[in-house]
Amino acid sequence: MKLVLISVLTAAGLVIVFGSPIAKEKPVRDFYYESPRPILPMSFAHEDHTTENCILCHHNYNDDTGGGPCMNCHTTTQEVWPLFERQFHDLCRSCHAEKAADNIDGGPPRHCIECHRGDDLP
Amino acid sequence: MNPLLATLVAVFLITFLAAPTMGAGWFWDTGNGIGFAAFAGLLYLTITSNRRLDVRAHQVLSYAVLLLVIGHAFWFLLGDATAVEFIKFGAPDYMWLGIVSLILFIVLVTTANVPDRLRVHKTYPSFKYWHRVLTITVIGGAAYHIVVSNFYLGAWYQALLFAIISIGVCLGRNYWIRLGQIAIASPAVYLALSAALIVAFTGIRNLPA
Repeated sequence: MKLVLISVLTAAGLVIVFGSPIAKEKPVRDFYYESPRPILPMSFAHEDHTTENCILCHHNYNDDTGGGPCMNCHTTTQEVWPLFERQFHDLCRSCHAEKAADNIDGGPPRHCIECHRGDDLP
Repeated sequence: MNPLLATLVAVFLITFLAAPTMGAGWFWDTGNGIGFAAFAGLLYLTITSNRRLDVRAHQVLSYAVLLLVIGHAFWFLLGDATAVEFIKFGAPDYMWLGIVSLILFIVLVTTANVPDRLRVHKTYPSFKYWHRVLTITVIGGAAYHIVVSNFYLGAWYQALLFAIISIGVCLGRNYWIRLGQIAIASPAVYLALSAALIVAFTGIRNLPA
């Protein structure tokens, strides 16, 4: 039993360090959008979100904070950067999850690689 | 109702109280279904631990629960290359508590077997005390991991019910020991019931719209 557990923990360590040997796509952390630390790539296509109200994401239209693409502030402003991961997970994932709850095909609510692909869509 | 079935059904039922059809895709739902079955197994092992405990059956079932705990972690690590990023430095606290609970559960299982038990604990009361403390810590950490990740238990009453059954199992020992001897289910029965509930959990959440 101990041998099995040691093997399992070793395998877990190897997967954590070198990545999954069977998962097809692997995201690469890098300094995307001038982020101060390496972050995961992200996908977002405006054309897939045309039915949503712009203000849902573009809060700056309403509260006059910042402008331009999201990452102008979210990866470069000292006050906002520490909240980066939580804010985007909450915003994107909760919206996708609400659609799933309503039985609407609203895209991937939780399959990480579906969003962390990093293709640069308009 | 059979205590094992009751425990498994109670855990899975809570996830269906709000947004029962909300799914994260078959891959994530299956992985999380394995996690819920593992958590129910942990609760069942605790409920059935009384003075007339069949130690061997308890031990063998704990290996099956451990199999699902490890299966839950590896499912994501192997299937989604991004998931590993969620357990590195900077990961949310509920992920860290999930990892800590997994490691403590391995410690709980391995230090309960003779001769390792005798190396760690000088006396039987010391073993019983620390076995109970570790069990409560593992259940608490795993319950936090499940509730705070806030996907299947999004409504406040789901989180409350989940907390109540977790705390009830941890602190209700005075009640459990009066239940008398409960024949502990075999690993095969536990794994078969778990598989059926995981399939139902994933299937319902991934029905075509």
